Amino acid sequence: MDALLIVFASGLISLFAAFAKKPWLVVGSAMAGLLAAIIVIIGQLQTGKAFFDFLKYEGLAFDQVALLFSLAICVLTLLIVGIGYERFKENPVHTGEYIGLLLFSATGAMIMTAYTDMFMFFLGLEILSIPIYVMAGSNKADVRSSEASLKYFLTGSFATGVFLFGLAWVYGATGTFKLQEIQLKIQEMDTLSPILMIGVLLIMASFIFKVGAAPFHFWSPDVYDGAPPAVTGFMASVVKIAAFFAFLKMFAFCFGRGELYDFWKGALVVMIVITLFVGNLSALRQVKFKRLLAYSSITHVGYTLLLFVSQGDVAGTLWFYMFSYGFSIVGIIAVAIAVNDSEDRIEGLRGLGKRNPFLAIVGIVALLSLAGIPPTSGFFAKYILFSSAWENASWLVIIALINSGISIYYYLKVLVTIASPAEQEQEKIKLSPLTIAVLTIALVGMLGFSFILPFLY
Amino acid sequence: MLLATLFESGVKIEHYMVLATALFVIGVFGVLYRKNAIILLMCIELMLNAVNLLLVAFSTYFGQADGQLFVFFIMVVAAAEATVGLSILVLLYRNTRSTDIRLFNKLKN
Repeated sequence: MDALLIVFASGLISLFAAFAKKPWLVVGSAMAGLLAAIIVIIGQLQTGKAFFDFLKYEGLAFDQVALLFSLAICVLTLLIVGIGYERFKENPVHTGEYIGLLLFSATGAMIMTAYTDMFMFFLGLEILSIPIYVMAGSNKADVRSSEASLKYFLTGSFATGVFLFGLAWVYGATGTFKLQEIQLKIQEMDTLSPILMIGVLLIMASFIFKVGAAPFHFWSPDVYDGAPPAVTGFMASVVKIAAFFAFLKMFAFCFGRGELYDFWKGALVVMIVITLFVGNLSALRQVKFKRLLAYSSITHVGYTLLLFVSQGDVAGTLWFYMFSYGFSIVGIIAVAIAVNDSEDRIEGLRGLGKRNPFLAIVGIVALLSLAGIPPTSGFFAKYILFSSAWENASWLVIIALINSGISIYYYLKVLVTIASPAEQEQEKIKLSPLTIAVLTIALVGMLGFSFILPFLY
Repeated sequence: MLLATLFESGVKIEHYMVLATALFVIGVFGVLYRKNAIILLMCIELMLNAVNLLLVAFSTYFGQADGQLFVFFIMVVAAAEATVGLSILVLLYRNTRSTDIRLFNKLKN
């Protein structure tokens, strides 16, 4: 709860700090707030005590797992605030609104990690989504940005409608909105009512929409392509962490009863297979960098969905996977922003090793991590994920491994482009200290995670 | 007069369920097949209103307030969403001078 309040307050402060017309002040207050939130969360994880103990609401429970996920959200948001700053140095208008919305969105994500009833889930989902609709269109001069915003808005609110309709049916079957009571009611039923099944299917459809898995993935390449790069990074990392954890909690906890599990598992398995192949095969023929990342993110969603059919410490695996994926995506987006190719082609990265060796190193490590090649954290995350799913769904894991193999092709293609020399001499890229700091943190995250892993497990 | 006869004949929960589903499906088909972005927004509102109706019906059926409370949350969020959606649409209208979603195709390669 403390961290939630701090992030929200620093969002408000950065909104008002914008009146001073100094972008560094806005970004500074946002970063200070996020750092304070991170420190508070770590403190709470160690002592187990909240600072504002008297502030309690039964709909939100910040237990150990929720705190760990909030930590991941705060760290990644901090990095994204850092990489978004470059844009405002030339054009400081709307810095406050952009950073403020980013922090409010992170607040929604944190609510989604800690919810215990559907009121909070719904509010968290909307607090997370509505600022992103605006942020996706924050590049007002660019039609493509506004178009991405409209597309995200329409699909997002459609998914919300589907979710609510499903929720209404679940309410009709169980008569409550609390997770605990829903679970109890479902356990007590003699036979599963069809009303409940319709509800669960609709909620699952909306979830598939929100995380952008096939067959409801069509919006995500367009939106990722059109939105400003920092917002793309936010959508690919923080939003996915929050959505995955929230729905995992709902499905594993509430709808985990034997017959019901078999019912939605059947639908999910089909979707995992489609998602993996659609994401990978479309990524193979992309020439634009952000579109490639969008399709690769669809594939990663496919891998992550394996968690719903696996067993063991599912939340821990999800945390590790999404955190390391978040670091990789933020790293690669930071590289793309620094290169600043107006047409955003993969070819624009050619000769990066000459232009700035540090950028090239971060880019290469991020690509290796996305592809899942040791010693990056992406490899270990994928390894844990696949081994936890192996027992329940070994044939799915084999399909995922085949897809991993395909994906290495397009990651290596980009990697080779970065490493190979350009035809004509290009100017060197100068990095600001903030960008260097973000890149370093992402690099440490991608490599360091693999070293601390033995201590975690 | 008509209302009185309706209540005497007994409107059951099933009727509400059918009506809400019908409204929701109309909304979904509107979103899928209409080409005007403003009508799309209205169809999404229709979907949310179908949910509201269903929640209120269930809430009355169970004799508790939870469902009706949720309806207020949905109304607030729907208002916020409509605000954001319309302003995005205004932004696009400045560029294209139209609200036809077929014109918003700059992102296809």
